[in-house]
Amino acid sequence: MKKSLKVIGKPTPKLDGHLRVSGKAVYGHDISLPNMLYGAILRAQYPCAKIKAIDVSKAAKLPGVVCVITADDVDVAHMSHKRDHPVLKKGEVNCIRDEIAAVAASTKEIARKALRLIEVEYEVREGIFDPADALQEDAPGINKYARGDEGKNIAQTFHYEHGDIEEQKAKSTCIVKRRYVLPRVTHCCLETSVVTADYSQSDGRLTLYSSTQVPFLYQRDMARVLKMDPSNIRVVQPVIGGGFGSKLDMYPFEPICALLSMTCGQPVQIAFSREEEFVASPTRQAMVIDLTTGADAEGRFTFREVEITKDNGAYTSWGATTSFVMMQTFSSLYHAPACVFDARAVYTNNPYAGSFRGYGNPQSTFALERNIDLMAEELAMDRAAIRLVNANYKGEKTGQGLEYATCGHKDALDTVIAKSDYTRKKREYKDAPSARYKRAMGFASMLHVAGGAKIYRSDGCGTTVKLDNFGHLIIITGSSEIGQGSETVLAMMACEELGIDMSKIKVINTDTDIKPWDVGVHASRTSFVAGNSLLGAIGRLKDKISPWAARYLKTDIEDLDYDNGEIGCKTSGRSVKIDKVVRELHFQDPNVLCMESYYYEPASDFQDAGYKGNVSGAYAFASQAIEVEVDTYTGQVKVLDVYVGQDVGRVLNPLGLMGQIEGGVVMGMGYALTEELVVAKGQVVNPTFHNYKIPSACDIPEIHFYPIETHDQAGPYGAKGVGEAPLIPTPAAIANAVSNALGVEINALPMTPENVLKAIKDRP
Amino acid sequence: MSHDNSSRSGGFGHRLTIAFTINGRGVTREIRPALRLIDLIRDDLGLKGTKPGCLEGECGACTVLVDGDAVNSCLYLAANIDGKSVTTIEGLSAGVDGPGLDPVQRAVVEHGAVQCGFCTSGMIMAIESFKRQCDTDGVVPNRERIKKSLEGNLCRCTGYKKIIDAVQSLFEQVQGADGAS
Amino acid sequence: MNFDLVSPTTTEDLLRAIDEHRGRRFRFGAGYTDLLLDLEEQQDNELTVINLARLNDPSFTSIVHDGGEMRIGALVTASRIIADRKLQSRYPVLCQAAGQHGSRQIRHTATVGGNLCTASPAGDMACALVALRARCDILPARGDARSLAVSDFFLGVRETDLKEDEVLRRVIIPTDDGEVKTHSDFIKIGKRRSMECAVVSIAYHIESDGDDTMTRAGIAIGSVAPTIKYARSACEYLVGKRLSSLGPSERDEFAAKVVEYASPISDIRASAWYREDVLFNMSKSILENH
Repeated sequence: MKKSLKVIGKPTPKLDGHLRVSGKAVYGHDISLPNMLYGAILRAQYPCAKIKAIDVSKAAKLPGVVCVITADDVDVAHMSHKRDHPVLKKGEVNCIRDEIAAVAASTKEIARKALRLIEVEYEVREGIFDPADALQEDAPGINKYARGDEGKNIAQTFHYEHGDIEEQKAKSTCIVKRRYVLPRVTHCCLETSVVTADYSQSDGRLTLYSSTQVPFLYQRDMARVLKMDPSNIRVVQPVIGGGFGSKLDMYPFEPICALLSMTCGQPVQIAFSREEEFVASPTRQAMVIDLTTGADAEGRFTFREVEITKDNGAYTSWGATTSFVMMQTFSSLYHAPACVFDARAVYTNNPYAGSFRGYGNPQSTFALERNIDLMAEELAMDRAAIRLVNANYKGEKTGQGLEYATCGHKDALDTVIAKSDYTRKKREYKDAPSARYKRAMGFASMLHVAGGAKIYRSDGCGTTVKLDNFGHLIIITGSSEIGQGSETVLAMMACEELGIDMSKIKVINTDTDIKPWDVGVHASRTSFVAGNSLLGAIGRLKDKISPWAARYLKTDIEDLDYDNGEIGCKTSGRSVKIDKVVRELHFQDPNVLCMESYYYEPASDFQDAGYKGNVSGAYAFASQAIEVEVDTYTGQVKVLDVYVGQDVGRVLNPLGLMGQIEGGVVMGMGYALTEELVVAKGQVVNPTFHNYKIPSACDIPEIHFYPIETHDQAGPYGAKGVGEAPLIPTPAAIANAVSNALGVEINALPMTPENVLKAIKDRP
Repeated sequence: MSHDNSSRSGGFGHRLTIAFTINGRGVTREIRPALRLIDLIRDDLGLKGTKPGCLEGECGACTVLVDGDAVNSCLYLAANIDGKSVTTIEGLSAGVDGPGLDPVQRAVVEHGAVQCGFCTSGMIMAIESFKRQCDTDGVVPNRERIKKSLEGNLCRCTGYKKIIDAVQSLFEQVQGADGAS
Repeated sequence: MNFDLVSPTTTEDLLRAIDEHRGRRFRFGAGYTDLLLDLEEQQDNELTVINLARLNDPSFTSIVHDGGEMRIGALVTASRIIADRKLQSRYPVLCQAAGQHGSRQIRHTATVGGNLCTASPAGDMACALVALRARCDILPARGDARSLAVSDFFLGVRETDLKEDEVLRRVIIPTDDGEVKTHSDFIKIGKRRSMECAVVSIAYHIESDGDDTMTRAGIAIGSVAPTIKYARSACEYLVGKRLSSLGPSERDEFAAKVVEYASPISDIRASAWYREDVLFNMSKSILENH
């Protein structure tokens, strides 16, 4: 039975909402330190060239310029988990983002002017912009720091398999093989990238005001690159103007800013322009997926064969490793008896890819769900029915070893099928007369980690709670807030457990010198992992407080109730104010401090060498039914209604949850319909909001959200992670709907009006 | 604007003196002719609540009110606020007693219409101007009109729905009061 | 960004400023929504902006309905066009175009004159003004004002007939006060439903008499040629016909006539074939929904 809860499950506005709506929240761009300089970076003019000479003398002489650095001036290690990325490039450039020199000056204008005075002599080379070309035998090696142990111009490969493919093929009545082409898209955080570095030459300590999503990994990476003691680096996170995975890695501008500060002995700030943000921040990886899937006569899925070629760009960031997540979808979304998965990330002279909300999953889900529609068509089965037959179920242990302790997949499907009135509409649209506007519905589901992902040595999070002698609680959490609302959820949990009003709870989470370790804000993990960690810390705190309160109230610990700033006795009705308890503990012999810490590690497994293992503490499932209307005159797709059924374990904060759902769906819509970072011969063609179209308020559909509550034992109050899920099935469901409406196959994104009209014209 | 009877150039490198009202307070400043309003607001006046999102008039994060109309402060010449009144996000709750919020700000918080918050200042200023216009015209806008009023403000977090809900609530309150009478 | 600024408040001062800058680099600034982006990289000290925003002359700043014509000052903003009741009832296409121009913020500052002088093939209000066969009223630094059709004002992409010593004062739409039924719209096709630069645009203003017979038709197309085009033969095709009696083949014939004026190119926003196909389809659609 569910315990009745006071705050959890109730719509709760953002803890620091008043600061964010009154202009008082301090973001990276708002930081101004005494004596601060402005840094700017000179990037490559060509995506592939030899640098014959760099002359910075004119720039250095410009009044207001304090220093100019190039690779020759610094002693640093290479960046990236593959160590294939020099901070400042020397001798050659391989990508249009490449950092050649950096300037620190007294104003932004002078810094920019100084860049124009730097003379670089290039010898332009023919670049390689298509992974297929990079794989040719006679192709030159693109990244000379690549280990190359997996093949020339290959940054990283993944091979996974389970089940007997041949046996399953033999059982298959229908086999569908298709190629899917996914574009390069980018995060478009409303705040552009920014960092402020403050190095003190007197004690060798470096403070970085950084929007990173992974402060502790960042501290480690920064120290390695700068050859410093990590403990001499303090990372302070200002309010972050959007993350979505873009800040999961450290990028060259960050150590460059530190190097400028170290050289000048003054604080330095580097802030990207919007154009620089488009050109020089990571992207979702563009890729080609070749997918073959089978089903038997009853529509039961038999096998999946996947081959993926990803455009890694010139260096390796977290784009290359999205296969971890992609293979999960192919191995374990819907029951899958056999699966073989091969992926390779291939170097090119294009901008390099990074991590982006969903981490490969929107791409894999797109391919799989399109193939499912095509199999349904071939088997003359209903599109909803084929999904129901194969839905994941509670207790399932998948071929990859994921263990679904709870599973709301079928409930999610049933819900969206019913709520969208699919059966009636399907009939109606089938019989509709030929007209300019065509309507149809499309389905897609998704599976995603929802209790962390055990990739790093720990997937944990530390928390310290401090109850002060006035009855206020301070939560010092390792986790980070990127706007998603984790602070609010943590405060709600503390309010729930300790009966302390939300207005008396503060969350401290922005300073690596203060907060305990956490792996970072990603993988939809924060509410789950930081939540469990907080509950652990509160449990310990209560272990200190409760015995005293029980003695005072002359009752048993089990009989205590924390509510309304008091600890009460459920039977006698007597109570004591919590601040009084703290004062008594603090100031009476033996003087007990009301402060406790806890480190939570999810009960998940590391995967073995074959990528098998129960990698997350819980799994989220979601299904979406999306209705579209296509204008056959223009190819414009109007998304009318999006029905979302999502297994969230348990609703913690409905307001924050719906914000994640709606924001995710609309972000998925952008990926589906309008967004593409166009790169032609290595140059970014559309680095403006004018030509890179994210959805606006006028484009949004009605979003109907139905939380599926499965009460997972592992989650705080039964909750699972939710952040990435809503984006993942959206492009697939829209593509299925559009294909269905027009009787065409949409196997590439984005479905711009032009691409849709082309599909109509090319219809056989 | 005081320089040479306004029509003649003061020569290159010269500065202009402008007098204007910022959040209700009269101010005089000497500026470069090419200064953008956003830079005056953020760098000179130190009002960091107005956000630089794109500096190309596409995202609306830098929206402020000039004589009550929402404009992109990145595409507005600072020289042209001479004699005018500018309101930024910091000026909204100025009239409210204590640490309170004005009705638009409150609606945005209560409806969960703020996530990362970087678009929020501009969004709120756009809503503020739209609300004033609707009130002046005696219009209660429908949802489509509300969406249209927000077309110049990009948000990457919320998917806009809660923002639209927040705007709608501002008019429902008004309507409710009218309906009761 | 660097430039000098001159801010005339009277037309006399304005004309003198133009005269004084003859032979030097100068630009006009009105709403600044395009200009500041254009001048972003402007660094040297050689450019003067003649700031029209402080000009206090009603012929530049107001909308006047005066018997035989509507006069719209070059400095009238898009939002004022939208709010003007006379324009709404008599020439709704201009309000429809202004309403789809940029965002609310942009519309508060962007001016009709700016939209014309930018001479973008994708100009919104400009497209409507071509459809309405409006005329430009141009003032030289010395001498008499001249007037020419808006469609002749555009010479090429970002190129107008405006001479170095001239300024656009207003646009004039010839009008009559007869009772007419108007069928009009501004169709703007892009990837999104707002904040678009048109991939294809069509402005149309069709007047019919009590008998549903079309008495006047103005159709202009944008983003499908180096300049906005007035589709004369398509307009002529409609006059004298009854809107409600046009069948599919006549609609196709009409659309084909519109497309004759298009010479689209492929760019980052759309391919030439797409622009042409959509222009045909949307031209057809004008006659379908009435």
